[in-house]
Amino acid sequence: MTSWMFRLASRVRGLFGQKEADSEFDLETQTHLQLLTEKFIRQGMDPRDAWSAARTQFGNTTLLRQRHRESRTLLFFPNLLMDLRYGLRMLWKSPAFTVVAGLTLALGIGATSAVFSLIQGVLLTPPPYQKPKQLMLIQSVRTDGQKMDSPRGWAAQQWMEWNQKVGSFQGIAGYGWTFNFLIRDDGSQSMQGMEVSKDYFRLMGLKTALGHGFDDSDFGQGHVKSIVLGYEFWQRAFGGDREIIGKTVRISRWDSSPVVIGVMEPGVRFLPSPSAAKEPNYDVNATVDLWVPADPDPKYLKESYWNVVGRLRDGVTPQRGLQELAAITAREGSTEKKFEGFSPQLEPLTDEMNRDGRRILLPLLGASALVLLIACGNAAALLLVRGLQRQQEYAVRIAMGMGRIGLVRQVVTEGLLLALLGGTLGIGLAIFTVKLFKVIAQHAVPRLDGVTAGWAVLGWGLGLAVLAAFFAGAIPALRAFRLNPMEVLKDAGPKGTAGIGERRLLRGVAMLQTALTLALLVGAGLLIRTMVKIAQVPSGYNTGRILTMSVTEVQSRSNWGPFHRQALERVAAIPGVEYAAFAWGVPLTGNNWPVALDIEGQPPAAKESDKTTLPLRAVTPDYFKLMGLALIDGREFRSTDDDKSADVAIVNQAFTQRYFPNRNSVGRKFWPNGRDKPGVEIVGEIANGRTEDLTQAPSPEIYLPLWQAQAFSKHLVLRTTADPRAVVVAVERELRAVDPTAAIENVKTLEQIRDESLASRTFAMHLLTGFSVLGSVLTLVGIYGVISLSVASRRRELAIRSAVGAQQKDIRRLIFGEGFRLIAGGVLGGIALAVIVSRVLRTFLFEVQPGDPATFIFVGALFMGVGLLACWAPARRAGKVDPLEALRYE
Amino acid sequence: MSRGMFFAMAKGESLSADKSEVLQGTLDMMILKTLHALGPLHGFGIARRIEQVSEDVLTLNEGTVYTSLLRLQQQGWIESEWGTSENNRKARFYSITRQGRKQLAVETENWERISGVIGRVLGLEGK
Repeated sequence: MTSWMFRLASRVRGLFGQKEADSEFDLETQTHLQLLTEKFIRQGMDPRDAWSAARTQFGNTTLLRQRHRESRTLLFFPNLLMDLRYGLRMLWKSPAFTVVAGLTLALGIGATSAVFSLIQGVLLTPPPYQKPKQLMLIQSVRTDGQKMDSPRGWAAQQWMEWNQKVGSFQGIAGYGWTFNFLIRDDGSQSMQGMEVSKDYFRLMGLKTALGHGFDDSDFGQGHVKSIVLGYEFWQRAFGGDREIIGKTVRISRWDSSPVVIGVMEPGVRFLPSPSAAKEPNYDVNATVDLWVPADPDPKYLKESYWNVVGRLRDGVTPQRGLQELAAITAREGSTEKKFEGFSPQLEPLTDEMNRDGRRILLPLLGASALVLLIACGNAAALLLVRGLQRQQEYAVRIAMGMGRIGLVRQVVTEGLLLALLGGTLGIGLAIFTVKLFKVIAQHAVPRLDGVTAGWAVLGWGLGLAVLAAFFAGAIPALRAFRLNPMEVLKDAGPKGTAGIGERRLLRGVAMLQTALTLALLVGAGLLIRTMVKIAQVPSGYNTGRILTMSVTEVQSRSNWGPFHRQALERVAAIPGVEYAAFAWGVPLTGNNWPVALDIEGQPPAAKESDKTTLPLRAVTPDYFKLMGLALIDGREFRSTDDDKSADVAIVNQAFTQRYFPNRNSVGRKFWPNGRDKPGVEIVGEIANGRTEDLTQAPSPEIYLPLWQAQAFSKHLVLRTTADPRAVVVAVERELRAVDPTAAIENVKTLEQIRDESLASRTFAMHLLTGFSVLGSVLTLVGIYGVISLSVASRRRELAIRSAVGAQQKDIRRLIFGEGFRLIAGGVLGGIALAVIVSRVLRTFLFEVQPGDPATFIFVGALFMGVGLLACWAPARRAGKVDPLEALRYE
Repeated sequence: MSRGMFFAMAKGESLSADKSEVLQGTLDMMILKTLHALGPLHGFGIARRIEQVSEDVLTLNEGTVYTSLLRLQQQGWIESEWGTSENNRKARFYSITRQGRKQLAVETENWERISGVIGRVLGLEGK
């Protein structure tokens, strides 16, 4: 049981005091031999014979000493050092091989560990909540299973009842998203915040880094008395000033200035607030700037204002929690019309947080793993060829008495050394790549700001290196194990040739590489086609020469009208500005304002869940002209459409087609606040535009005049005559002239916004293209190597062929034929692989099927062509074999 | 530890017809038994004792005794200390430990069982 521990311990001890033990052993044997000799002499033997007889009976002392030494200590350790030294020397002596193999592995390891680091940082790092696996987002879905037009929250009355009655939850808390500005004289600063109910901090297990969290006295109706700042915002806006606790800050739209009572611990991000997701400044992946205590207002207990999160009790399954919750919700729905038709659904918080990241990172991980496999294939082929060149050496070593295990150990050690070299280079590459990712993938991968190129890269890189060593070293090691020294020494053939068996093996490796590369190429091809299709989609509006920035007047409501009118006037007068408009709902930002409304001619909704919800936007008169959205019917907005005149709206074609098919919508009405209140008249109809998402067909939209809707946060949109970036300084100056405290943020061209809306696709495309180019190069090198080796090994055969009359072109055809069979086999295998693999890209594709035949044919043909090019040089070499010389040489 | 013994057998080292080579595990056991019976001994003494008991049936390179001794020591079944032999020579004396005694009991029982089985099997074939 424990005897192996004894042995190990005594062997470890044996590592030290090696010499002493040897001399003790010698002394012991000497004594024995002398005693034995004396015994023989006593028995009457001649003293000279007695000594040699004693030696004979004792046995070979040298061998015995060696055996003792071996069993006394961990022999593999000194051997390992020897192997390492020898391996290093061999690598050093063939720098070309070492560099090529090392770089090959570095590319594979670098690519994979970079993607791994992203996964580690984005998916595997848990959020800073206590036991985050217990946290469940309680979402609202329609009981009849139909899709909702827009997300809905829960009424305070409902979740407060759950909190009291549902036993499978430790607690349930409500929260919401809020947006505001920290007022500053030199330009105010936006703050995204969370409104949280009493239990929230305790439930989530959040602690403040400074000061304290909210207590019961902070909750109540009326003015907000106290706030907690987010750590990152505290650093950004207050320079980490510890004196901030107890001081008041001025916040826009609030009548009183609240006191800062604490600073939250770092790294706390938002929980999703689906109903606020269309707000201009909503970013669920950002860190929270501001925490606001919120107590349900008794007047609005039945309004579905709240997002809800709950923590399951230890050991309670989500299913049980849901059952209990669903029962209570059904009862609530039967007693209150406003709650009718909705059911709860539990979504683990970590799943929700990782959904976007998983969607993009897992396919990329797969792609990088393919690159690593291809690189391992090349390294294995290189090691194998090198093994062939060193067969003589191996054979001699076996003949000299080196055990096969020892030989395998030597080969494995060399593979490992190579992989470590590749791993080290790869880690460097990965650190660089992660930094690059952080720059280019900012909008594609959520929470990328939290990723650091640190220990994770190192760990993954080294782990992968060992894995790569195993993959790349396994075949050469097996071959060394099966080596027959007699054959090799007898053969004594020229170096750098390979038998049929080895060539078949190498062809198999190259074929596999080709297949993997083709799968990568198909993926990249599909994404490139997608991007081309998206570029061809008519958006319906201009994206060129348009500048946007969010501009907010933070002082007071009464100042709203004068500020915006004056600002617009001044900005429009700047030279180079063609049109200027304010807009709430710039295309492709995802901004709009989903509102449940009644439309003329549509039957009133029977249940709350049946109400029509449509996205509203608000713009100033020049907006449609600026965007190039054509007026189809009726009129555009006028500057007189303000709070003193009747409410009007403009709809798009899709709206008319859906709600007034084959009729005019102009002159009709809709009611945002119920039919008993005055309605809004539709005065115009504009052309469709893909404002929500370029990949989705236009859906019904409603535009309100901004002068009536009076939106708080919004964008200033400018169309310029030249490069829009050139006017930024002038625009800021004019706006500050109207009000120095105005907040001016997120200055972007519409093209930038468009690119960001496609960021995850672009990132996936770039990465996959990069990976497939990398894979292609590696594979082509592999094919070149295999065919070259084949030509070298078949030199004699080729010479005989040409001696009996084969022409150069016949020989070339022969070699090309070999290359063709290899590549074609790989391509066919790759297509089969790609059919399966391309499915994971489905969510990224647009108007391209995962099995798109055009892509498959194009990519297959392209790789065939390039692959054959790689065979060209060896084929030419084969054609030039001089039969006389080749045969004489043999 | 009977596994070591089987392993040596399984290797199928050729056994000469008249004199049998000593199997590794068997030698270990014989040494343990010797130390158990006679108390502390040096390597030479152990070799003599085995020679005497086996009555020349077993051939033995006496050096192998030391390989066995090292192995037994690593298992913790025997221990050793330097002392003086007859004729005043420095020699290492080996003695059995408590663990070694236990092991010997186990091995002896194993051996009896197995040799009984083998004896029965061989006896059967003879008939």
